[in-house]
Amino acid sequence: MATVASRVASAARAWRSTYRVSDYSNLLFLIPATVFFVGWQIYPIIRVFVLSFTDYKYLERNPPNFVGLHNYINALNDPLFHVGMLRAFVFTVVFVPLTILIPLVLAVLIDRVTNPWLSSFYRIVLLIPAVIPGPLVFVLWKWLFDFQIGPVNTILVEWLGIFTRQTAPQWLGGTPLSLPAVIIMEVWWGLGYHTMFFLAGLAAVPKDLSEQARIDGANEWQLFWRVIVPRLLPILSILVVLRFGTAMSVIDEYLIFGGFQRTSPTYTWTVYMYDLAFRIGDWLQGYAAAIGWLGAVVMMVFVVGMLYVFRSRD
Amino acid sequence: MAVTIQRYHQRRFHAGLIAKHAVINLGVVIILLPLIWVLLMSVKSLPESYTTNFWPRQFDFSHYGFVLTRIQTLPQNMFNSIFVTLATVAITTFCAILGGYALVHVRLPGRMLLIWLLIASLFFPTRLLSLISIYEIQRQLGLLNTVVGLIFPYVTLNLAVSILIMRGIFEQLPHELVEASRIDGCGPWRTLFLVLLPLLLNGIVVVSMVNFVGVWGEYLLAVTLTNDQATRTLPVVLASAHSGMGQWAYPRIAAVYVIAVTPGIIIFALFQRLYFKGLTEGAIKL
Repeated sequence: MATVASRVASAARAWRSTYRVSDYSNLLFLIPATVFFVGWQIYPIIRVFVLSFTDYKYLERNPPNFVGLHNYINALNDPLFHVGMLRAFVFTVVFVPLTILIPLVLAVLIDRVTNPWLSSFYRIVLLIPAVIPGPLVFVLWKWLFDFQIGPVNTILVEWLGIFTRQTAPQWLGGTPLSLPAVIIMEVWWGLGYHTMFFLAGLAAVPKDLSEQARIDGANEWQLFWRVIVPRLLPILSILVVLRFGTAMSVIDEYLIFGGFQRTSPTYTWTVYMYDLAFRIGDWLQGYAAAIGWLGAVVMMVFVVGMLYVFRSRD
Repeated sequence: MAVTIQRYHQRRFHAGLIAKHAVINLGVVIILLPLIWVLLMSVKSLPESYTTNFWPRQFDFSHYGFVLTRIQTLPQNMFNSIFVTLATVAITTFCAILGGYALVHVRLPGRMLLIWLLIASLFFPTRLLSLISIYEIQRQLGLLNTVVGLIFPYVTLNLAVSILIMRGIFEQLPHELVEASRIDGCGPWRTLFLVLLPLLLNGIVVVSMVNFVGVWGEYLLAVTLTNDQATRTLPVVLASAHSGMGQWAYPRIAAVYVIAVTPGIIIFALFQRLYFKGLTEGAIKL
C-alpha cells in the first residue's frame, strides 16, 4: 500500500519528466520584473558607464564624442571630488555606529519588558519614523533645526539656557553643524526600524540561555557581550553593510538640508555629481557619469571587503 | 543579614527596572516629540507660529481648509502622489509575486544566479548612478515632466527587495501544496492564482508597505524628472515650500505635512499585526 507521501513523490517525478520542456516557459514569470529591471536599472547603469567615456550633452543633437579616460583622469585630479569623497566617509564613519548601537541597546531593553501591553506599545511607537518617507523626515528636521522657530534651539536657549538667542547654533545652511544635524536626523529616522530588526533577532535567542548565564554568575555586561551580541551577529553584519552602502550614497537629505554650497560639509561626491549633471550646465553629463561610477566603485570595494570580513567570521 | 541582601537585591532590581523604562521612554519621547511639534504647529494661529511657544494658546484649524482649497495646485499634487503610489505599489507587488513564485516553486534555470544578482543589487547605488541616463530615457520616451512617467523608474526602486521578501514568504508555504495541486492537474499558473495567492496576504502587506513608504516620499527622481508645479508630487512641493507670510506660512506647510504623513501612519496602524508577522517570516532572512 503506497503511502500518500510516496504517491506524491512519484507523481512529482512523473510531472518533472513530463514537463521538463516547460522549464524555460517558467521564465515567463520573470518577464514583468525583467522589463522594469532591464529598462530602468540595468540599461541606465550601462548607459551611464558608456556616457562616462564621452563628452555627452543632453541638448546636443550630434552624437557624443568618445574621449577615452579623459573624464576619469579629470575626476581623479579634481579636488572637489576628493573633498566630496572625504565628506561622505566622515558622515558614514560617525553615522553607522550610532545608528546601529543605539537601537541595539534599546532593543535589548525592550526585549525585557514583560508587560505585553507596554511591549507592543513601544514597538508601535518605535516604527512610526520608519513609515514616514525620507523627504518628509528631512523637511520636518529642517524646521526643528530652524534658527528662529526651531524647537531644537528653543530647548537649548529657553529650557536649558546653554545659549542665548544671539549665540544659538546655526544648524542649517552649510555651517559645520550641518553634518551633526544630518546625523542626528538620520539616527532618529533609523531608530525604530533598526530596533525592530534587533527585536526580531532577539526573539530567536532562547530565554533560558540568558537564565543559564545568570545562574553561572554572568553580570549583565557579560551577558550582553557573550550571549546576546554573538546571537545577533548575522543581523548586525547585514545592517552594517547595508547602512554603509546607503550612507556613502546619501543625497536627498543633502539636497534638502545643505543645498549646493560647495563649502558645506553636506556637499559630498553625490551632490557634486548631481550638481554637474543637472545644475551647472548641459555639458558635463559625461563627467558627472564618471564621478558617479568612480564613487560607486570605491563604495563597492568597501562593501565587498566588509562582506568578506563578516563572512569569514561565521 | 539574608533579609538585607534580599532587600538590597530588590532595590537594585527596582532601580534597574526604573532605569530601563526611563531609557525606553526617553526613546519614545525623542521619537514622538518632533511629530507632536509639527501637529501643534499646524493648528497655531499665524502670528503665534513665528514665536517659540510649544503649546498653542489658541487652536486654529483653518489651515487645513486653506491648503486644500486656496492653494491651487495642491489637490493636483496630492492626486499625483496618490496615483503614482497606487500604480507603483500594484505593479511592483504583481511583479514580486510572480518573481518570488518563480524563484521558489517552479523549475527555473539559473535560479541561484538570479537570487545572487538581486541581493547584489541591494548593495549597489543604482538609483543615484542611473539618474543621469534615466533622465535621458524619459526624455526620449516623452515621459519627462509627466506623472505617468514616474511610475516606470519607481517600480524598479524596491523591486529587488520586494522579490526577495516574496521569495521568503513563498518558502514558508509547504511544497506539498504545490505538488498536490499539480497532481490535481493545475499548471504552474493556476497553482499560483488558485492555490497559493490566498496564502500570501502577509507578504503582500509587507511588500506593499515597503513600496508605499518608498514611493509616497520619493524625492530625488521626482524632483529631477518633473518641472511644473502641476506634475510635482507632495514631498517635492513640501521640500520646496519656503515659508514666508504668503500662502506658505509655517502652519500651512505644517498642515500639508500632516496630510502627507498621516496615510502612512494610518495604514501601518491598520496592518501592523500582519506587517510584523510578514517581517519576521520573510524579510529578516534576506
